[in-house]
Amino acid sequence: MTIRVSGICKRFGSFVALDRVDLEIRTGELLALLGPSGSGKTTLLRILGGLERPDQGSLTFFGEAALGLTPRDRQVGFVFQHYSLFRHMTVFNNVAFGLDVLARKDRPSRAAITEKVTELLRMVQLEPLADRYPSQLSGGQRQRVALARALAIEPRVLLLDEPFGALDAKVRKELRRWLRRLHDEMHITSVFVTHDQEEALELADRVVVMNRGRIEQVGIPSQVYNDPASPFVYDFLGNVNRFDCVIEAGVARIAGLEMAFPAVGMTAGPAVAFFRPHDIELTRLEAFAKEEAVSAEGASRAQVRHIYAIGPSARIELDCAGHSVEVVMDQDRLRGLGVNGGDWCGVKLGRGRLFRAGVVAATSIDQR
Amino acid sequence: MRTRVNGSSATLERPALRDPAWVRWALIGLALGFLVLFVVLPLITVFAQALHRGISAYFDALAEPDALSAIRLTLLVAAIAVPVNLVFGVVAAWAITKFEFSGKSLLITLIDLPFSVSPVISGMVYVLLFGLHGWFGPWLRDHDLQVVFALPGLVLATMFVTFPFVARELIPLMQEQGIEEEEAAVSLGACGWQIFWRVTLPNIRWGLLYGTLLCNARAMGEFGAVSVVSGHIRGLTNTMPLHVEILYNEYNFVGAFAVASLLALLALVTLVAKSALEWKWGESLAGSRH
Repeated sequence: MTIRVSGICKRFGSFVALDRVDLEIRTGELLALLGPSGSGKTTLLRILGGLERPDQGSLTFFGEAALGLTPRDRQVGFVFQHYSLFRHMTVFNNVAFGLDVLARKDRPSRAAITEKVTELLRMVQLEPLADRYPSQLSGGQRQRVALARALAIEPRVLLLDEPFGALDAKVRKELRRWLRRLHDEMHITSVFVTHDQEEALELADRVVVMNRGRIEQVGIPSQVYNDPASPFVYDFLGNVNRFDCVIEAGVARIAGLEMAFPAVGMTAGPAVAFFRPHDIELTRLEAFAKEEAVSAEGASRAQVRHIYAIGPSARIELDCAGHSVEVVMDQDRLRGLGVNGGDWCGVKLGRGRLFRAGVVAATSIDQR
Repeated sequence: MRTRVNGSSATLERPALRDPAWVRWALIGLALGFLVLFVVLPLITVFAQALHRGISAYFDALAEPDALSAIRLTLLVAAIAVPVNLVFGVVAAWAITKFEFSGKSLLITLIDLPFSVSPVISGMVYVLLFGLHGWFGPWLRDHDLQVVFALPGLVLATMFVTFPFVARELIPLMQEQGIEEEEAAVSLGACGWQIFWRVTLPNIRWGLLYGTLLCNARAMGEFGAVSVVSGHIRGLTNTMPLHVEILYNEYNFVGAFAVASLLALLALVTLVAKSALEWKWGESLAGSRH
C-alpha cells in the first residue's frame, strides 16, 4: 500500500470540503478522483500533495505518517490545473527548477541536471522548444512541460489536478492516451482529479467517485459503471434513465406507468430505479394485444419523439406515458425494427438497479 | 497596459464612436492648451529664470556651499528612505497578497494613510512625538539623541510620506499574478527564500522598479512634512526643496531657480524612465499572460 488516507476532514469556513474520507492507494496504480465541482476531489489531492492541511484525520505515505512532512519530503510531483509554469523562465529552466533548488549536497552537477532535463524534454517530445517561454507554447505543450517539471524530482507519487481540463477535445484525447502509455512505462503511482467521467473510466485503473466531500464508491471502471453503489454514482456516470417508483409488498411500480418489477426484501416506500439507455429494448407494436398498455413480454407502449442516428449507434428519445425515455441501440437493429420518428412502439426495461430512497439499500433488476 | 492599447484601437475602428472633426480638434486643442499653460510654461520658466544671468551664474549658484549641502542632504535622505520603503513595500505586498490573516483590510487602509493625510500633519506628528516637549523628547534629550531638526527626523518624515508608493504598485500586480507559481515552487521543494528570489521577485521586478522610481521622486521633492521637522538650519537640515524656498524668499532668484531646475530635471528623468518602464513592463506583462 502506497498511501493510506483515514478519517480526513477539511472545512473552509462553513463549507465542508471533505467529510471523514478513507482511501487506500496502491503502489503503481493510476487512480482517478471523479466528482462534480465542489465534491472535494481537488482538496483531497492538495492534501495528498501537502499544499493543504486537513482539520482531522491521518495520512501515511509508504507506512510513514505524512501530515507533518513538507511536499519535498513526501516526494510528490504535482501537476496543476492551469500548469502554473514559471512565466519568466524558459521551458528548460522550468523543468530544471526542482533540481536547482536542492540543497548543495543533494544537487546534481550542472552537467547532470542538463542531461536529466534534456532527457525529460525528449520524453515529453519538447526538446526543440527548450529555450521557449511558457507564453510561447500551446496548451498541450504547457501541459507536457508541467508534467516533465513534476517528474524531474523523481517523485514517488504523481498528483495531477484536472490534467486535461483546459485543453480542446482532440488534444485532450491524444494526451490522455499518451499519459496512459507513460504510466504503463514508468509505473509511478499516480492520482488524477477529473470531473469528466469518460476520462476517468478510460484512463484509470481504479476510480474513486466523490460527492459532497464523501467517497461514494471505489472500484475498477467497469465495476463503478455496471454496478453503481448509489443513485448519485448512477446519475453521474454516463447517461441514465431515472424513474421514481413506489415499493409495495415486494413489488416496485413506476409512478404513472403500468410497469413493475420485483423488489424482494425491500421495505415499502418511495424508491428510484435507474436504467442505462443501452439496457432498454425497443419492440414492435405488433406484440401488443389490442388497446393493451403492457404487452405479454412486459413492454410498455411509447411514441418515438426523435432519432439521432450518427455513428454506429442510434439514440432514440421516447415518450412513455409522459416519461421521457432514452434508448441507445445499433443502427442496424433499429433499421430492422423499421421504427421512425412519430411511430408507436414497445419499450422494455432490461437491466437496471433499484434504490430505496433514504436507506442504503439497493437491488438489481434483470428482466431480460 | 495591453487592454488600454486594444481599447483605444478598437474605438478608432468604430465609426459610430467618431465625433465630428471640429469636436475632436477642439478637445485636443483644449487639452494641449491646458498642458502648455500649467505644465510646460512653468517648466520653461524654471530653466529660463535659472539661466537668465548666464550659464556661469547658474553653476556658481549650484556650487555655493549651502546649495551643495542641500543637494547632499536630499540624496542622503532619499538613499535611506527609499531602500527602507522598498523593503517595507515588498514585505507588505507579499503579506497582503499571498496570505490570509485577520486585520488585512486594516493594513491596506493604513498603507493608504500617508496619501490622505496632509504632509504638514505628518511632520507635526514627529515633532509631537520626538520634539523637545514631545512624548519621547525628555528621554531622547537624556540620551543625547536628536531626532527633530536633524537627519533622523527628515528621514522619518520622508519615509512616512513615501511609504505607500512601492506597496501600492505591487499589491494589484501580485494579486493578479496569484499564488499559483509559488505553490508550484513549494511542490517542487523550494523553501520560502528560494521562492521569493527565484519566482516572486522576477515576476514583480518591473512593477517594483516603477514603484521605487515614484517613491524616489517624491522622497527628493517632499516639502511639507520635511519643512516641519527640518528647522531650516542652513547647510545642516535644509533639503533641496527647503533651500529653494529660502533662496526665493531672499529674492535670490537665480539661486532658487538653479536648485529648482535640478528638481525639475529629476522629475523629467523620472518621467522618461517611467514611460520607458511602462513600455517595457507593459510588453513583458502582456507576454507573460497565459
